[in-house]
Amino acid sequence: MELSLAIRAFEILLGWSLVLQSLEYLRIQRQDRLSDWCLQRLDIPPHPHWVRALLDRVFLPRAYNTLIGMRLALAIGLMSGGLGLAGAVMLFVIALLLLLRWRGAFNGGSDFMTLAGLTGLLIAHVLGTLTDPVTGWRGGLWYICLQTLSSYFVSGWIKLLRPEWRSGRAMTVFLDTGIYGPLAPTSIYRSPRLAQACSWAFTLWEGFFPLALMDVRLAMAFCAVAICFHFLVFWFFGLNRFVWAWLASYPAVLYCAAG
Amino acid sequence: MELTALLIVAYFVVLGLAMRQRKRVVHGPWLFMFRAFFPNWQFYHGLGYAPRLFVRGQTTAGNWTDWHTVYPRVTRQWHHLVHNTTVNLALTQQNWVDHLSSDIQDLPDGADIQQRVTYQLVTRLAHQAIRGGHWGPEGTNVRMIDAELPPVVAFQFEVRLHHLGTDHVEPLLLSPLVPTWN
Repeated sequence: MELSLAIRAFEILLGWSLVLQSLEYLRIQRQDRLSDWCLQRLDIPPHPHWVRALLDRVFLPRAYNTLIGMRLALAIGLMSGGLGLAGAVMLFVIALLLLLRWRGAFNGGSDFMTLAGLTGLLIAHVLGTLTDPVTGWRGGLWYICLQTLSSYFVSGWIKLLRPEWRSGRAMTVFLDTGIYGPLAPTSIYRSPRLAQACSWAFTLWEGFFPLALMDVRLAMAFCAVAICFHFLVFWFFGLNRFVWAWLASYPAVLYCAAG
Repeated sequence: MELTALLIVAYFVVLGLAMRQRKRVVHGPWLFMFRAFFPNWQFYHGLGYAPRLFVRGQTTAGNWTDWHTVYPRVTRQWHHLVHNTTVNLALTQQNWVDHLSSDIQDLPDGADIQQRVTYQLVTRLAHQAIRGGHWGPEGTNVRMIDAELPPVVAFQFEVRLHHLGTDHVEPLLLSPLVPTWN
């Protein structure tokens, strides 16, 4: 994959992911009746004083909505290809503020991968300013690629170290805890042999994901399977943000595999 | 290029070896807030104890309701793929229960768990549930407790550790009686 194509694909996909997240944050403001800032602010260390005072202002309901609105506008700017260093810095700072607002993460792994994407974007622009844009983007895309490969590699091998995953039992148990309800009594995933086969298939696929770097065609195959995998994670666990956050990283994987 | 390849291989070898090592957990409020910078990428990695919230209410006559589990269950819809506020908010709220469980287990001697933000958030969650609250917007989604509840004037919640995949349950925290509020 050529660098220019990888950059555009990454910007569009990351921007899309941020747009969806921002729209959710705006609506959640109206749904959430429990986690107001007045209480959560107590989690912020009292020293230095100015941090809590600053956050108190930033997280006033109207200011918070403005912040999310800015994020939405910046995300659209990113998709259009018109976001420069200042925009990348602002997106990164807003991401930090959102971590503070939501006790370190709103949606776990998807926040981590979104931050990896935004950090890559920041590296690309800062390094590009200090050296040249090509070097900057190479650095940014390699950072995102390594984070993505690490995420699959660790997630896969850590499961293979556990007997309950090797037997397939863990998969059925976790699917029963899914937010969309437990598996049906007659679900095929209750079959121990099928559960074991599925467990081995996707944990090995995850564990061997770094091999994607060997060849771009292999990388395309790994990424195609990844899309199906994240869709299934959404289907059972409702984790829609994971789909878009990881999808945004695949241009970086394909670019690095092609290089 | 060969050096780059070698470095990448070395990186994943170190990463693989690190997974087998016993982890030293580093605590700190700022580290907790910015843990997204140090992701461990371990999702659903093993069956173990999972904290679950239970709540019961007390009527004006002093009668207790049954204990009810408060665990998000929502109806799947296709548009959730692009817009899923109900589920994401519910998962965040379930995370409070997980964080409260961690706080209880890491509580220093002499410290009061009721002073922790997680405790207060879970109290609010239990209150919303026992007052007939819903996951998501009022009246449009699934009720947090799937049962008919009488009006209650006070409630109590319990955090229990369920060992996933077995029937083993351990109580972790029983709250005092808390009056309901408007």
